[in-house]
Amino acid sequence: MRVLGFLFWAAIACAAAICLGGIALNRGEHINSIWLVLAAACSYATAYRFYAKFISARVMVLNDQRATPAERLRNGHDFEPTNKWILFGHHFAAIAGPGPLVGPVLAAQFGYLPGTLWIIIGACLGGAVQDFVILFASMRRDGKSLGQMAREEIGKIGGLVALVTVLGIMIILLAVVGLVVVNALKGSPWGTFTIAATMPIALFMGLYLRYWRPGKVLECSAIGFALVMGSIFSGRSVAESAGLAPVFTLSAMALAVGIILYGFLASALPVWLLLAPRDYLSTFVKLGVVLMLGVGILFVRPELQLPAFTRFTDGTGPIFAGKIFPFCFITIACGAISGFHSLISSGTTPKMIARETHAWPVGYGSMLLESFVAIMAMIAACVLQPGVYFAVNSPAGIVGATPAAAAATISNWGFPVTAADMAALAHSVGETSLFSRTGGAPSLALGMAHIFASSGGGETVIGFWYHFAIMFEALFILTIIDAGTRVGRFMLQDLLGHIHPLLGRTSWMPGVWITSAAIVGGWGYFLVQGVRDPLGGINSLWPLFGISNQLLAAIALCVATTILLKMHGARFMWITCVPLIWLVSATFTAAWQKIFSPLPAIGFLAQADAAKNPVIAFNARLDAVVCGAFLVMVAIILADSIRVWISILSGSREAAVHEAPFVPSQLRPEEI
Amino acid sequence: MIRLLLALLRELADENAYRRHLAAHGLEPSPEEWRRFSDERLRAKYSRAKCC
Repeated sequence: MRVLGFLFWAAIACAAAICLGGIALNRGEHINSIWLVLAAACSYATAYRFYAKFISARVMVLNDQRATPAERLRNGHDFEPTNKWILFGHHFAAIAGPGPLVGPVLAAQFGYLPGTLWIIIGACLGGAVQDFVILFASMRRDGKSLGQMAREEIGKIGGLVALVTVLGIMIILLAVVGLVVVNALKGSPWGTFTIAATMPIALFMGLYLRYWRPGKVLECSAIGFALVMGSIFSGRSVAESAGLAPVFTLSAMALAVGIILYGFLASALPVWLLLAPRDYLSTFVKLGVVLMLGVGILFVRPELQLPAFTRFTDGTGPIFAGKIFPFCFITIACGAISGFHSLISSGTTPKMIARETHAWPVGYGSMLLESFVAIMAMIAACVLQPGVYFAVNSPAGIVGATPAAAAATISNWGFPVTAADMAALAHSVGETSLFSRTGGAPSLALGMAHIFASSGGGETVIGFWYHFAIMFEALFILTIIDAGTRVGRFMLQDLLGHIHPLLGRTSWMPGVWITSAAIVGGWGYFLVQGVRDPLGGINSLWPLFGISNQLLAAIALCVATTILLKMHGARFMWITCVPLIWLVSATFTAAWQKIFSPLPAIGFLAQADAAKNPVIAFNARLDAVVCGAFLVMVAIILADSIRVWISILSGSREAAVHEAPFVPSQLRPEEI
Repeated sequence: MIRLLLALLRELADENAYRRHLAAHGLEPSPEEWRRFSDERLRAKYSRAKCC
């Protein structure tokens, strides 16, 4: 049996190596997407079985005899021992946002290879390790948050910096995902109608759940889903109607203003009325679509049309400027390593773990699944013809404002495409134009529609699937916007409460409106900046978001390294130190280049100097200041951590571990 | 498998949490109790950052 097991895992490891080698060494021919799927799946299986097991057994020494906070502090609400597979799905649904879908699509401008390797290797050695260690640390500390652990394990500065960094990241995150939605819906009456219809549907669901069928969330979500599907079907008629189409054909600025107003309302309105029903619906749709995409890719096994490397590895990319190092590693954050995950791993999940060993599948395993979602997004982007991919994702400021000019520019890059091809493609999905729809969502939707339509129905259903994919992306992005605005408002009220108690009271409506307006104003400013940017906004905002998210991961890895150091001395600190060093190198280099590069396409300050419009110049300088502020904050926490590490290693500081005391578990198997 | 999937959906829909809440406090399901439970649950849920 032991020999069979050894042979099985040796075969899996060999398959991972062969597939990774196959996709890395293939040149000049189209490869089938199944190679990427197999490379990822076999690598994840090997990492999960050996590396994660080593961490759980030797480093964390997970012990099922030890009662978890879910058992000791059980209250039926936050603290509740939960079946590991249910918690796995719960945790995955919480960490899966638009990041792993959009990042790989944008990074595909380098070709499929750099992004794919980073997603697989980054997740196995970095992202999953971060999530796992932070989950473990929080579980051993009664479910404490990352900020609380940073304060306890490193010092007061760490906790404060973590809080301010999270608020800053949220402002940038909400702006950039808002921009993704704006670019997906501008000039698209079908898409705009579908998304607009989700507002009254959510209100209906809110009232249904509150007054008509209280507690029937699944039933209500099923009705909501049926209504949303109905709105996608009727969207085509709206787009073809001479009277209705102009009403839903909105400019980017009009959409941005609409989203800003929506964010304000959703933050100030009662949560049960709009936010919660949308969130339930978007969670189910998200899980369903991820599953459908996985099945679709396995069923269709499409060939990748993009090459392993494109000419844009030299840093002259039209989607975002900069070379593979460091920009590939900050563009793809959530699919490989994401700081935001550390907030979830130290939030609800550690309070629901029934047995300590469940942290292994939940913490490490969920991140591997998230990484697989990123691989599927990469495949969806790479099944498009390269000319189409660049036509959709390149801003008009670079390729030209007319279809003929854009097609000529892209064809001159070596990716043939014609205006007629693009017009036919746009017509087939029920759009008027697909040129310069930057942000990643439209090209992802095209790729997904191609895969779904190839599974059955063909060209006749491609328009439906395209708008289904747009609805899916926009629905959960808008949920992030409304929930994020609300969370930002709470954080701000918390801070302002120290100045005047009335401002901190969540029941005082003027305070709610003021703080909601302040948060919405913050991300709304960056959103409008992105809309007015002649290069499409994604070029500057997405790197800013990637840098801030990765810097939060650096904070999490600092906390994780400090904890491992306190537990075992220097013996196992490499586990989190190696990804930390890589992340700090990539992120600090990217931030430095984004601020100081003399090339206007990359550096914010050079962009400001070259700008003729004073507003654009001001915005570029503001971006440089924001980027610099993130850099300084993380440099502070890094320096503080290194100071603590040196003092522990030199023996001048006690390596006190702040774990909750051991209590034997009395949980019965039938309780889980 | 289907039972597990349904249990996951009920957990995501907060229906399991509502049942636990009723059991813990020895209450019967009612519109008023759901509203009380839901208000408390949603307040906690949306005071935490959502992932990107």
